[in-house]
Amino acid sequence: MSDQTIVISASPHVHSDRTSKKLMYDVLIALIPAFLVSIYVFGLGALLITATAVISCLLFEYVIQKYLLKTEITITDGSALITGILLAFNLPSSLPIWMVVIGSFIAIGVAKLSFGGLGYNIFNPALVGRVFLLVSFPVQMTMWPTPVENNTTLADAVTGATPLGIIKEELLYGSTMTEISTKIPSTLNLLLGFTGGSVGEMSALALLLGGIFLIARKVITWHIPVVILVTMAIFIGVFWFIDPEHYANPLIHLLSGGAILGAFYMATDLVTSPMTKKGMVVFAVGIGIITVVIRLFGAYPEGVSFAILIMNAFVPLINTYFKPRRFGNKIKSKMI
Amino acid sequence: MSEKLNQKQNFLKGIIKDNPVFVMLLGMCPTLGVTSSAFNGLGMGVATLFVLLMSNIVVSLIKSQIPAKVRIPAFIIIIASFVTIVEMVLEAYLPVLFEQLGIFIPLIVVNCLILGRAEAFASKNNMVSSIIDALGMGTGFTIALTFLGAAREIFGSGSIFDLRFVSEDASTLILFILPPGAFIALAYLTVLFNRIATKTS
Amino acid sequence: MSKKKSTFLNMILALFVITLVAGLSLGYVNDLTKGPIAKAKLERKVNALKEVLPDFDNNPVEDVRKIASDKTKDSIEIYTASLKNTVSGTAVIGSSEKGFSGLVKIMVGFKPNGTIKNIVVLEQKETPGLGTKMKDEKFIKQFREKDPSTFNLKATKDGGDVDALTGATITTRAFGEAAQMAYDVFVAHTEPQEKFKK
Repeated sequence: MSDQTIVISASPHVHSDRTSKKLMYDVLIALIPAFLVSIYVFGLGALLITATAVISCLLFEYVIQKYLLKTEITITDGSALITGILLAFNLPSSLPIWMVVIGSFIAIGVAKLSFGGLGYNIFNPALVGRVFLLVSFPVQMTMWPTPVENNTTLADAVTGATPLGIIKEELLYGSTMTEISTKIPSTLNLLLGFTGGSVGEMSALALLLGGIFLIARKVITWHIPVVILVTMAIFIGVFWFIDPEHYANPLIHLLSGGAILGAFYMATDLVTSPMTKKGMVVFAVGIGIITVVIRLFGAYPEGVSFAILIMNAFVPLINTYFKPRRFGNKIKSKMI
Repeated sequence: MSEKLNQKQNFLKGIIKDNPVFVMLLGMCPTLGVTSSAFNGLGMGVATLFVLLMSNIVVSLIKSQIPAKVRIPAFIIIIASFVTIVEMVLEAYLPVLFEQLGIFIPLIVVNCLILGRAEAFASKNNMVSSIIDALGMGTGFTIALTFLGAAREIFGSGSIFDLRFVSEDASTLILFILPPGAFIALAYLTVLFNRIATKTS
Repeated sequence: MSKKKSTFLNMILALFVITLVAGLSLGYVNDLTKGPIAKAKLERKVNALKEVLPDFDNNPVEDVRKIASDKTKDSIEIYTASLKNTVSGTAVIGSSEKGFSGLVKIMVGFKPNGTIKNIVVLEQKETPGLGTKMKDEKFIKQFREKDPSTFNLKATKDGGDVDALTGATITTRAFGEAAQMAYDVFVAHTEPQEKFKK
C-alpha cells in the first residue's frame, strides 16, 4: 500500500502494521478458553466437529480458489480458519460429520468466495453456514447432547433441548416460569457452561474472558457486544417486569443460547459490521431487538444468528448514513 | 433464405442470448415463487408460454388499431383475459397443478416478460415473427423454470419430477425448497448459464 | 400500418372494442368450464374422503353434517359414508389452534366400531422439516387401527401412547388434540349402529 496516497476500498481499512492476519490470530487465542470448556463438557465430539469444520473450510477455500476461480490462494490469512472454528462453535457436537462439511462448503463457497472473498462478503460466512444447516436439518440442529462432566467418550448418550428451547416449548404449552425453572440449569451452570448447547456457546464465562482479551488487544471495540447485550437486557427486562411468569428473566436470556458468542465474536466481524462507532451502536441495537423478537415471538427458540445476518444486510446502508471521515478532509492528518 | 435464417435467430435468442430468466431477469415473481419442484416449474412455464403466445398474436394483429396513448391498458386487458382463460381451464382439467400454482396463475398478468414482449416486439412486428418470438421466449422461460425447479427439487426433496431417489427418512437440504433456496439456486444457475453461453458463443 | 391517432374518440372506441371482445370470450370460456370446475372440486373432496374412509358407494359430501362447537370457530364437519345402505365409516374434521404456528386441521376417518381408519392433514403451517413430518407415513401409521378409547392420543411425554415427532413435541400435541376432538365429536354425534337413512 506504500505507493498509494488515497485508499478506496471496502472495509476492513487496515492502516497500521496490524495486518488482518494478526487480527485473526488474536481472535484464535481468544477462542481457546471456550474451546477447552467445550472439550471438557462434550468430550471428543466437540474436538471432532471443530477439526472437521476447520479442515473442510480450508480445503474448500483452497480448491475453489485454485481450480474454479483461479485466483490467489488466501488460506494462510487465518480467516477461513476462524470461519471454521466459529461455525463449529455454532453446531451441536452430535451433528453428523457430513453435515458439518456441507455447512463449511456453504460458509466458504457461498457466503464468502461467491461475494469476492475476504473483505467483500456481506454476510458473516460462519453464520450463513449455520443458518443454512439449521433451516435444512432442523431435527439434527436442535438436538443437543446433554453435557457430562469430564466427558471423554465420542458417543453422546443423551440428547435434549437447550434451556431456551425448553423455555419456549413449555411456555407454549402453558407452563409458568416457576414450573419451568426446575427443568433448566441454574444460572451458575449457565455461566460456567454445564448446559445443553452448541459446541462453543455454552460457557458464558469462558467466552467473556476471550471477549475481554479481544477488547484489551483492540481487535474489537466494546460498542457492539455491550450494546447488543444491554439492548437485549432492557427489552426482555420490560416483558419480564410486567409478567415474570410468562417471560424468563434477562439473565437467563443473556447467559444461554448464542447471545455472548454472537455479540463478541460474530457481530464484531470487521468485514460485516459498520465502520464508525455511531454505526456500530445502531447495528448493535438492531441485533439486540431482532434477537429478542425472535426469541419471544418467533418460531425458533434462538435468534442471535438470524438477527446478526439481518443486520449484516443493513451495514452498507448504515455506512452511508454514518460515514467514516474521509481521508484528505483534514489537512493536518498524516499521509498514509 | 436470409428471412428464414432470421427467424431461426429470432427463435433462439429467447432461449440463449436473451433468455428471459437468466439474462434479462424478467418475471422473477413466478420464477422464485413456484419453482419448488420441476413439475411446478414446467407447469408455470407452459402456462406462461401459452399466454405469451396468444397475447403476442393478438397484439401483433391489432397493433395498428390501438392508439399509442392507450396501448398499455389495451395490452393488459388482452393479457389478463388470456390469463383468466388459462386459470379456468387449469382449474377444470388440471386441478392438481391449479392447486400447486395457486396465486401465481393470476399473477401471470403482471409478469413483465409478457407485457415486455407485447410492447417491445409484437407491437412492432408482424404476426409470424411475433409467434416465433413468443415461442422462443416462452421456451426459454419454461426451460429456465424447469431447470430451477429440478435443481431445487433434487437438493431439497431428493427427487426429480416426484421420483424419489433417496429414502423418505433421509435428510435433504430442505432449505432449497424454501424461499431462500430459490434465490441461491437462481443465482448459481444464472452464473452457470452465462458461463456456458459466453464460452459457446 | 400507420397507427391510429390518439384522439379521444379513437381511444374510447379501441378500449371499448377490446374489453367487449375480452368480456364475451371470457363469458364463453366460463360457460364451458363451469361444469368441469364444479366436478373437479367435488372430486378433490371425495378423494380426501376416500383416503380416510373404508369403501363407500354413497356421496358423503352431500350427507355432511355441521356441528357447532365451542372449541373451534368453524363448525365441525361430519361425513358419513355407507356401503349398501349400512354405515361403513365416518370422517370427522378435527382441528387445534395449539400448533407451533397456529392452526392444525386434520381429517380423521373412523370405522363404525370406533377405530381409526386413517388420518390426512388438511391444513398446517408448521416448521418445514420438523412439524411438517406429521404428514409422513411413519407418523400417521401409529394411529391406524387404533381405538382412541384405549389408545391415548397424547404424546408419550405427556403420558399418552403417541411417539412424538423428533424436535416437534408441540406439533405432536396439537395433532393429538385435533384427533381427540374428532374422536369426541364422533362419539357424541354418531350412534354406534346408526342405520343409513336416505
